[in-house]
Amino acid sequence: MISAESVSLIYRDHGREVFACKEISLEVRENEFLGILGPSGSGKSSLLYLLSGLKLPSNGQIYFDGKDLSQIPEEDRSRLRLKEFGFVFQQSYLLGYLTALENILLGVPDSERNLEAVELLDRLGLKEKASRLPHELSGGERQRVCVARALLGKPKVVFADEPTAALDHKNGEAVVKLLNQHRAGGALVMVTHDPSMLEEADRIIRLADGEVVSA
Amino acid sequence: MSPLSPTVYLFRNAGKTVPLIGVIMLAVLLVASIVSLINSIPYSIRTIYQYSQEMTGVGPRGDTTLTPKLIAEIKEQSPVPIERTMICRASSAVVQSIVGKWPFVVLGLSQDDMKYYLSRMNGSRIIGRLPTPGAAEAIISAPVAKNLDRVLYDPHASKAEREKGILLAPGNTDSWSVKEVKIVGIAQTDKWLMLDTIEYQRENHFPPVDLGLVFAKNLQDQDKLDHWADIHFKGRQAQIFAYFKVEKDTRTMFKTLYMILNVVIGTLVLVITFMMGMLMNIYQSQRLVEFGLLQAIGYTRNQLLRRVVFESLIFVLAGWFVGVGAAYGLLNLAKAVIMTPRAFQLDCLDPVAYSYTVPLPFAILIVALATVVIRFRKFDPVSIVERRLV
Repeated sequence: MISAESVSLIYRDHGREVFACKEISLEVRENEFLGILGPSGSGKSSLLYLLSGLKLPSNGQIYFDGKDLSQIPEEDRSRLRLKEFGFVFQQSYLLGYLTALENILLGVPDSERNLEAVELLDRLGLKEKASRLPHELSGGERQRVCVARALLGKPKVVFADEPTAALDHKNGEAVVKLLNQHRAGGALVMVTHDPSMLEEADRIIRLADGEVVSA
Repeated sequence: MSPLSPTVYLFRNAGKTVPLIGVIMLAVLLVASIVSLINSIPYSIRTIYQYSQEMTGVGPRGDTTLTPKLIAEIKEQSPVPIERTMICRASSAVVQSIVGKWPFVVLGLSQDDMKYYLSRMNGSRIIGRLPTPGAAEAIISAPVAKNLDRVLYDPHASKAEREKGILLAPGNTDSWSVKEVKIVGIAQTDKWLMLDTIEYQRENHFPPVDLGLVFAKNLQDQDKLDHWADIHFKGRQAQIFAYFKVEKDTRTMFKTLYMILNVVIGTLVLVITFMMGMLMNIYQSQRLVEFGLLQAIGYTRNQLLRRVVFESLIFVLAGWFVGVGAAYGLLNLAKAVIMTPRAFQLDCLDPVAYSYTVPLPFAILIVALATVVIRFRKFDPVSIVERRLV
């Protein structure tokens, strides 16, 4: 479904070329849970941004359903992200003036998704908190709202960038379990530095210094 | 309602949006009020001299015997039918205007002419009576009474009240007469009038020059007659007094003031726009996380920009409408407290004043959007979700 072919991401640091990712080739298969594991600064988040089209590679190609993401205009790439992908970030980014339910609905801007959003809240144990504002929720609850937002509309791929980083271990595990259980046939690509969070992963790719060290 | 509807943001972030609306409101209030109050000066002057719209005045130059001949010539050659002519005398007095004392004419008329003159000025309804021929008595109109704080003369009233019943007096250098001229009538009209009798003026006022007043049938004809007489008697021993000259003189008089006003308002609009641009920049900066998140999860730059445009449009228009309402309220208050008690004019719905405020919302909107567009052009949502910019 997603394939990366010799993908590199280079940035300049004081005139020096630095490889955030170096000639990485991999594939994300339908319905799989792919874990990307590596220490801090290994390039795992950069790889996630490349696979999801948030960043374009300096070299190499990334294909989604056979289409080269670099060839898709920026606006269409954004639309593709909204329609086909779900995102959970390190921090539980929620809009402070929207309720939990409204934040979830940002995942798919379609009023007919209301029921689905309520159902998701129910499944994630947040039904009673639907009308709460983010500051009225705990850290774990906020991240669960982010999970619900990512899952709304049954995306083909859910990208999770260290979704447990800001949570304690117990809450972190719960979030990963929820993501895995409710992805409804979509693939899950999760980046983490904590191997214990990838116990349920189908495959794990290890990165170090921007390169794949084991797959 | 969509969670990203502009009104959802504006209503739920009232603490941020209301101050912005407030700034726009104050700017509109300031501009509209300044222009309205400045406009009230020529408006008041036009109103003071509006009585002259009803007649064409003609006076001789160099030869006091010419007046009857001039009137006869007008009657004979006028391009419009003449309804009535009359001989009068004139002396000077003052009224109070926004910019200080302003000269005003006291017309001396015969009783018959005075009745016609008052009916022509919609002033037939009189509290009191007409002046007795030859007596030191006058009739004024209600706005003049209000403006000068004058009342009907009452010989039994206190000294202060009696003084309020005197229009002209030997001790009054601005509104002088050899005798105390008592107010015996107040005509209920909105025109500004001061009348005494021709007999009194002939006996007591200098120079001994009769003037002619010529009345056409209606205001349209009067205006034609004014213009015709002005051209007809040009270069001759005659002086024409006409309303259009008052208009022209007022325009000339205030030309420089309006030039200064335009510079002041222009500068004000510029300062406010620049200030609003900076405020908008801060306002949008506070929302970088929101924009970053939305763009990261798939909202396009154009969608976000459209949303910002609608939001800006809503609060700029809201600020403008509230500002116009506030200006209208403040002007009404100023009118009631300051202007009306002195019979000064103020148009609370002055279209010119409100038109001066129209560039404000557009300028603010353009500057606000320009700052957002510049910000969006180089905006990288990854920098937000990676917490590099928060």
